[in-house]
Amino acid sequence: MADVTTGEQIVFWILAPVALGGAIGMVAARNAVHSALFLVCTMLSLGVFYVVQAGAFIGVVQVIVYTGAIMMLFLFVLMLVGRDASDSLIEVLRGQRMAAIVLGIGFAGLTATGLARGLGEVETEGLEAVNAVGNVPAIAAELFTHYVFAFEITSALLITAALGAMVLAHIERRKGERLTQRERSRARFAPGNYPAPKAGPGVFATSDSVATPALLPDRTIAERSLTDVVRIRELTAAEARPKGTDRR
Amino acid sequence: MEELHLPPIDYAAIAPLLLVFGAGCVGVLVEAFVPRAWRYRVQVPLLLAGLVAALIALISVADKRVSTAGGALAIDGPALFLQGGLVALGIVSVLLIAERRVERGGAFVAQASVVAGTDSDRRQSSQPGATEVYPLTAFALGGMMLFCAANDLVTMFVALEVFSLPLYLLCALARRRRLLSQEASVKYFLLGAFSSAFFLYGVALLYGFAGTMSFTGLREAAAEAGSEDTLLFLGIAMLSVGLLFKAAMVPFHVWTPDVYQGAPTPVTGMMAACTKLAAFGGILRVFTVGFADINLDWEPILIAVAIATMLVGAVMAVTQTDIKRLLAYSSIANAGYVFTGVLALSEEGVAGTMFYLVAYGFTVLAAFAVVTLVRDADGEATHLSRWAGLGRRSPLFAGLFTVLMLAFAGIPLTSGFTSKFAVFSAALGADQVTLVIVGLISSAVLAFPYLRVVVLMYLSEPAEDTPTVSLPGVFTSLALVIGLVATIGLGVVPGPVLELAEQASSFIG
Repeated sequence: MADVTTGEQIVFWILAPVALGGAIGMVAARNAVHSALFLVCTMLSLGVFYVVQAGAFIGVVQVIVYTGAIMMLFLFVLMLVGRDASDSLIEVLRGQRMAAIVLGIGFAGLTATGLARGLGEVETEGLEAVNAVGNVPAIAAELFTHYVFAFEITSALLITAALGAMVLAHIERRKGERLTQRERSRARFAPGNYPAPKAGPGVFATSDSVATPALLPDRTIAERSLTDVVRIRELTAAEARPKGTDRR
Repeated sequence: MEELHLPPIDYAAIAPLLLVFGAGCVGVLVEAFVPRAWRYRVQVPLLLAGLVAALIALISVADKRVSTAGGALAIDGPALFLQGGLVALGIVSVLLIAERRVERGGAFVAQASVVAGTDSDRRQSSQPGATEVYPLTAFALGGMMLFCAANDLVTMFVALEVFSLPLYLLCALARRRRLLSQEASVKYFLLGAFSSAFFLYGVALLYGFAGTMSFTGLREAAAEAGSEDTLLFLGIAMLSVGLLFKAAMVPFHVWTPDVYQGAPTPVTGMMAACTKLAAFGGILRVFTVGFADINLDWEPILIAVAIATMLVGAVMAVTQTDIKRLLAYSSIANAGYVFTGVLALSEEGVAGTMFYLVAYGFTVLAAFAVVTLVRDADGEATHLSRWAGLGRRSPLFAGLFTVLMLAFAGIPLTSGFTSKFAVFSAALGADQVTLVIVGLISSAVLAFPYLRVVVLMYLSEPAEDTPTVSLPGVFTSLALVIGLVATIGLGVVPGPVLELAEQASSFIG
């Protein structure tokens, strides 16, 4: 550890706990938005590390691409899906969570000690040489000479990603399937169709569930208040008994 | 600042790659500009023409041994042989993918974005399948060809992603049992992304160790390092995780049965034949070019992996009741046999491995082609109990499947025997006696489920609901004939292909 400056050490010891805490928080947080923000913390700290370690380009890319583009996309998706769509916490495989934690910690320990042993006495070398022409030009030189084919073939990856997004997310309506506003209105007021919204479920002192049919003034059931999805049924005694959910 | 010079690129040597990728790009344009009714009729000939052109280009550069594009690509014997195998198996896969006679509209869903089980999903059940699968197939095959030729770790990683991403997508596009197919795709995607991360971390550590990404540079650095360097071994371990996952070796095999079962059967065939071939192409290059000199350090662990793969695959295959899962576990065990050839670390081993991969690929594609034909009203009848008595209903197809099963079991005069003989004799030549013994035991165990299917087909009475064997269309018939001819041909006269593999068995660099 010959040429680590004091400034770099200070930055490291401040930001390393932040990065690590963010990573753990991201996995542990129940709320998806909190998770995303924890991840932003980790990403930003890593970006600073890269800059401090003379990798200006990758540091900036980290902030722009990961923290900027990917995390914002992530938050957009969360907003679309709904913030409170929380995970189900049922373990499908018994003991899987515990085994995963133990194995994860074991693997992290193994890798960390291995890296500490492997990198503990390494002198940094060649950093000035590769950054001699500037960080960005040096990366450009590698990218467009040694790795030019890999760079070009990444386009196949991007095309595949775009194609995949279209295939998995885009529903194409054919002509005839697509109804115009005029056709919708006509259909709504056509004979045989009831233009007003359907009646809601019945709200009574005894029950207000969606499965409760609304009653007409003559106490017959209003057919239009029934849904196809939820069928009317009587609750069994076990289901009707108090569940104790009001107590803490 | 000095001027940058693009490294010289031997375009003739990489023409096969460019042709396959080009067919994919043109296919995307076809999706965009050709009317829907014409797309299928344009896409299939386009992709097949691209692959045939690639095969011709490969034959015309068969004698090339160059490292090009700044050392990123090694167009050497194994790369060319494996690329040839990939293109040939790819053509057969495309024939299966393009089949639209057996199931109305093909094995692929018309619009994957429609929620499964809804009214609009039922409405699209008779519409022709999505034609995006053809460019996706082209990109997958192109990525695999690149994977076999990649001469540094970065190019290899990019190739890994290029061929994985289309496969994740293709898995999700089954026409029947769509939720199962989507589940398979998500599983494959998540685990695949995880294994790619391992691969990438391994690449980073190896770069940290050697200061270079090229396999030749790694070999030189590893030879100097001795057996003390933690970075090197952590790097090899992580890299192996990524590679073994793609080859479906124990303990990284868990995704295989679920994904093979859920994916549309033509795609399953492609994964069993082409993906396996590509993965082993990468493994061969990494371990023979990169780390052969320090083999004593990593070989014991990988021998254990190979033994576990052979045993777990064979034993689990015995317990299966679904033909696709059975073939999945059999493909796991077969990965173990292929790996014995890799561990021989000799030119003989390389040749045996490559021969095995090509021979196995043709047989497994034909087997999955038969699976697509055994159907009832709900689609493919994959449960083994439904196959009972099939031999009396359709003697021709049962006979065909029997030949394929016997080839899997390694009966002489089939390709299964010659290929197993090739890898095991190479392993014996390298004094890997344990591996060969375990391989033989595992083959014996694995013969049981194969023969059980055969017995089930012939010795049981056909039930009322025994499914019918659909009449195959031109494409599937062609695939079946190619598969059968290759299976028997490589068993009776393996000489020419084996010789070709031996001539092509030395890596450059």
